[in-house]
Amino acid sequence: MKTIKTNKTMKTIKTIKTMKTMKTTNLFLALTFMFVSLQVTAQDSGRLVSENIQIKFFSTTPAEDIEANNYSSTSTLNTSNGSVAFSVPMQGFEFDKRLMQRHFNQERFLHTSEYPTARLVGKITNLDEIDFSSNGTYDASIEGELTIRGVTNKINEKGTVTVNGNQVTAKSVFDVTLADYGIEFSSGRPASNIAGTVEVTVNAIYNQQ
Amino acid sequence: MKRKKTLRILAILIVAGVLVGAGIGLYMFFMPQRDIRNLPADYNLNASGLVAEFLDDIGSANRKYLAADGESKILEVTGTVARISENFNGEKVVLLKGDNDKAGVSCTFMHETNERVIGIETGDIVSIKGVIRSGAYYDEDLEMYINVTVEKSDLVD
Repeated sequence: MKTIKTNKTMKTIKTIKTMKTMKTTNLFLALTFMFVSLQVTAQDSGRLVSENIQIKFFSTTPAEDIEANNYSSTSTLNTSNGSVAFSVPMQGFEFDKRLMQRHFNQERFLHTSEYPTARLVGKITNLDEIDFSSNGTYDASIEGELTIRGVTNKINEKGTVTVNGNQVTAKSVFDVTLADYGIEFSSGRPASNIAGTVEVTVNAIYNQQ
Repeated sequence: MKRKKTLRILAILIVAGVLVGAGIGLYMFFMPQRDIRNLPADYNLNASGLVAEFLDDIGSANRKYLAADGESKILEVTGTVARISENFNGEKVVLLKGDNDKAGVSCTFMHETNERVIGIETGDIVSIKGVIRSGAYYDEDLEMYINVTVEKSDLVD
């Protein structure tokens, strides 16, 4: 009889212990979940999106100056880890002259029907020098990869980031050597009228989404 | 005498050829941009269907809608207005997107057609004509769906 009672007591103690272990496990799981959620929220809150972008292409030669603008790109900027990405629809570049625009899109130049988007994927390397919580203009260095016409090259460019409340404006002017992306003209009008290196200006206004 | 006459005809033909060539060259050089508003649409579509076409097979949709010389298809797209904004160039941008769609059709108007957006509100169902510039897809680097872009837009009455 005594043995049975002892067994029952043991079982009760075991059950209480198991429940305690379960409670601890549940508490641990809940805390882990909260921690992960907080991290995800922190990352999400640092993600800015821009669909208000100007990308200007400028080429100058003794023969003529050529300029084209694109207002249809999309970009994201993560203020937490400094990652930056751009998607640029190449057929969105608008020239004054229709003939110029047709040449730009054709196979021997940008081949936009085969490669409809150019991409820039990179990171701000001096993120610690930019305070996204304080209004002001900061110098920014970007390292990454630029893909045009299916050819990817490493880039290392400078720009500025302006913080104004919840809005962040990014600006950068850099050169692109066309031959690096498989675009070369040895003869004819394009060879004399299009510069081997063109200037690209990027202006983007980011907001939280 | 006969030789002189032949030479004269030849000279006239050469001069005429040069003039015609120069005329074609000048026309090509100063050729105006396409007037999308006054050209007929190549396709009449709804926004959700167009987005789905790109998300299903972007290669096939690119071949169908994008032209090699950049003068791509003119579309008349019907859909629900999800957002109205303005781009860097001061042009109105109307996003047509269904509630359950992953991406939409972003229609950029022109300075000449901006006023046509006045009166449109989110939730309205409208038809917009413009030229397609690029299709919809999921961008892993941007971690978001990219909209179909249509430019030179105007509202279809």
